[in-house]
Amino acid sequence: MNRNKGLTTNQWIAIAVAIIIVIAAVFGAWYLYFQPTGPKKLTVISLWSGTEEDNFLQVLGNFTENTGIESRHIGYSTQELKITIPTQLAANASIFDLAIAPWPADILNWANKGYLVEVTDLIDASKYPAGFINPVKDSTGKIWAVPFKASAKPGFWYRKSIWQTNGWTVPTATTNYTQFKALLATIKADGEANITGFKAPIASGDTVGWPLSDTTEAFIMGLGGYQLQEELIAGSINWTDPEVKNVFSNLTELLNSGYFGTPAEAWTDPIPDLWDGKYAMYFQGSFITAQPTVLNQSDFAFFPFPGWNGETNGVAGSVDYVVLPKYTEKMTDAKKLLEYLAGADAQEIMVGLGGFLATNVDVPASAYTTIDLTVLDFISKSSVHIVGDLDDSIGGTFQTTFWSQLRLLWTDPATRADLDAFLEKLQEFAP
Amino acid sequence: MHRRTKKQRLRIRRYLTPFFFLLPALFFIVIFVLFPIVNTIYLSFVQENGSLGLANYQEVISRSEFINYGRPITAGPPYGAFIHNLIWIALHLPLSVFFGLLLAVLLRDVKGGAVIKSIIFLAMIIPMVVGGVMLRFMYNDDAGVVNGFLRLIGLGNMTRSWLAYANTCLLGLIVGTVWIWTGFCMVVYSAGLQGIPVELYEAAKIDGASRWRTFWRITIPQLRSATIVVVTMTLLWVLKVFDLVFIEFGGPGGSASVMAFQMYLDAFYSFNFGTASVWATLLTVMTFGIAAYMVKRMAES
Repeated sequence: MNRNKGLTTNQWIAIAVAIIIVIAAVFGAWYLYFQPTGPKKLTVISLWSGTEEDNFLQVLGNFTENTGIESRHIGYSTQELKITIPTQLAANASIFDLAIAPWPADILNWANKGYLVEVTDLIDASKYPAGFINPVKDSTGKIWAVPFKASAKPGFWYRKSIWQTNGWTVPTATTNYTQFKALLATIKADGEANITGFKAPIASGDTVGWPLSDTTEAFIMGLGGYQLQEELIAGSINWTDPEVKNVFSNLTELLNSGYFGTPAEAWTDPIPDLWDGKYAMYFQGSFITAQPTVLNQSDFAFFPFPGWNGETNGVAGSVDYVVLPKYTEKMTDAKKLLEYLAGADAQEIMVGLGGFLATNVDVPASAYTTIDLTVLDFISKSSVHIVGDLDDSIGGTFQTTFWSQLRLLWTDPATRADLDAFLEKLQEFAP
Repeated sequence: MHRRTKKQRLRIRRYLTPFFFLLPALFFIVIFVLFPIVNTIYLSFVQENGSLGLANYQEVISRSEFINYGRPITAGPPYGAFIHNLIWIALHLPLSVFFGLLLAVLLRDVKGGAVIKSIIFLAMIIPMVVGGVMLRFMYNDDAGVVNGFLRLIGLGNMTRSWLAYANTCLLGLIVGTVWIWTGFCMVVYSAGLQGIPVELYEAAKIDGASRWRTFWRITIPQLRSATIVVVTMTLLWVLKVFDLVFIEFGGPGGSASVMAFQMYLDAFYSFNFGTASVWATLLTVMTFGIAAYMVKRMAES
């Protein structure tokens, strides 16, 4: 019998691959076991990217200079962070040492499950307005997060020179909602007649849904008062209540009239069009001033939402909270960074770079940019109440349902004007 | 004491030897495939109070996210994730099979056909999430190629941000998956075409059969096995489609949501692993049923 005892080419290849795999496995195991054990960087995760991240990196850089503790930042999208934090915590593990998120309801939920380190003794609570601390304080008075920075959603941002050129009158404190609607009609007619590529009087934010939520909240507070937003957050009023329906009827009327643009892919996308006059205004948080596409801050301003009797009495405030997971391996360093972020020094750097408001009352007004001071002045008025961001305050499944339903309402208001069904859907997930 | 004969021992050894070689693979299949499936099915029956029952199934099936009961077809999406999956199959399957076959036949004898096929197949090898992001650009109001084409042919008034609207989001994503998946169908059909004996075509030519008749009477029947593979793989792929839907986060009001996406929402947003397991189980049953049927057909053919 003639048997070929030599190995075939395929067998040689298989042996070579097997040897490579074994070598890689041995080296991999060796590296994991004997890797250098020097100090590792702290990892902070948040929703920030672009300018916001650049500014925060300067804060972290200052922390490293002062303490020698190195840190890094990882920015996530809203959807990613929404699942990364709870899934990590639920697994009793954490790839991050600190997380920054604007969702107080979720934070209390994580605290309730025992995932977080209490921060009551790490900060001086008297240094923060109660409105910033209370949302992350549980029923026993324990504080579970540090308010690092805040932003307000003061009103509609616009480019002054575009409005001057077109002769549009900027609403004042006495301009009411009826006059505002008339202004929108004028802008639409003028824009379509005179501005090349004009899209709509009001720009709409990204398709995730939170900018649409912010705009809707402005309608809720502007037409129903800040108390209505507070009641909706607390669940003491139903979404199907006639008062709420009235707000949405008015919003739908504007949507049907074509006063809003199609929701953009990213919230920053409409800013260049706003600058070119393709949109006349954009309802956004104060963080818009930090965007590089706002080419000249002195040519940029906002006006508050004109309610039934003039200027709105409520402004949604959003706070970015820092949480410390129980599962960090660098607890001492993480606590130091948390204390630093809670302090006036770190926040002064952040607000000095523009677009944000400090939560620590020790940050002087001189630290702010001129445009941010106008926001600060407005929300400091005695007539204006700062209320928690509605969807952030409720959180959970309601938040994603709210965003999703608003996207539906925004893009097809004519055939989806069945407000009862829309509001019943929200009520189904409401607190 | 009874002792086995040498022959018996040899027979047992022969019988067991294949299982011995299968052990490593079986070990991993049991740990990473079978156990999760069984555990997921078990979880789907675990109710909120810890007892076993059908409450999770009742909850999921009664939701408007499963089937938007009572919504007329003319009202447009959202119809519910289950219906969206069916729509996806109904549109994606024939379109991708048709275009895959068409391209395979057209490019069979074309010079440089292999290069063109490789380019078409590129859509298949990019990660689905990247494909989803590319789709967003393609459908973009200002810069998208779709709207650019509409403007080019004088239909500028039809331009819109296609994925932002409930009425067009689902359809837009389905067309996108056809673009991504057609490359796979084309490659399988191309391989199938290579396997058809040339003699059959020569005989048809001698008999004076037209190209059209040759295509229907020779090419299509000879591609039966390839078609079964394409249909099976396409059905399974479409049923578990997730990435593109995730990029649009289910579309406005869930107008493009599918079962896999609802499973994700229940698991990681609501942390309701019972109902998430129901979605997973339903998907598993559907895919298993289809796969079993198609494999049987394949064996028969």
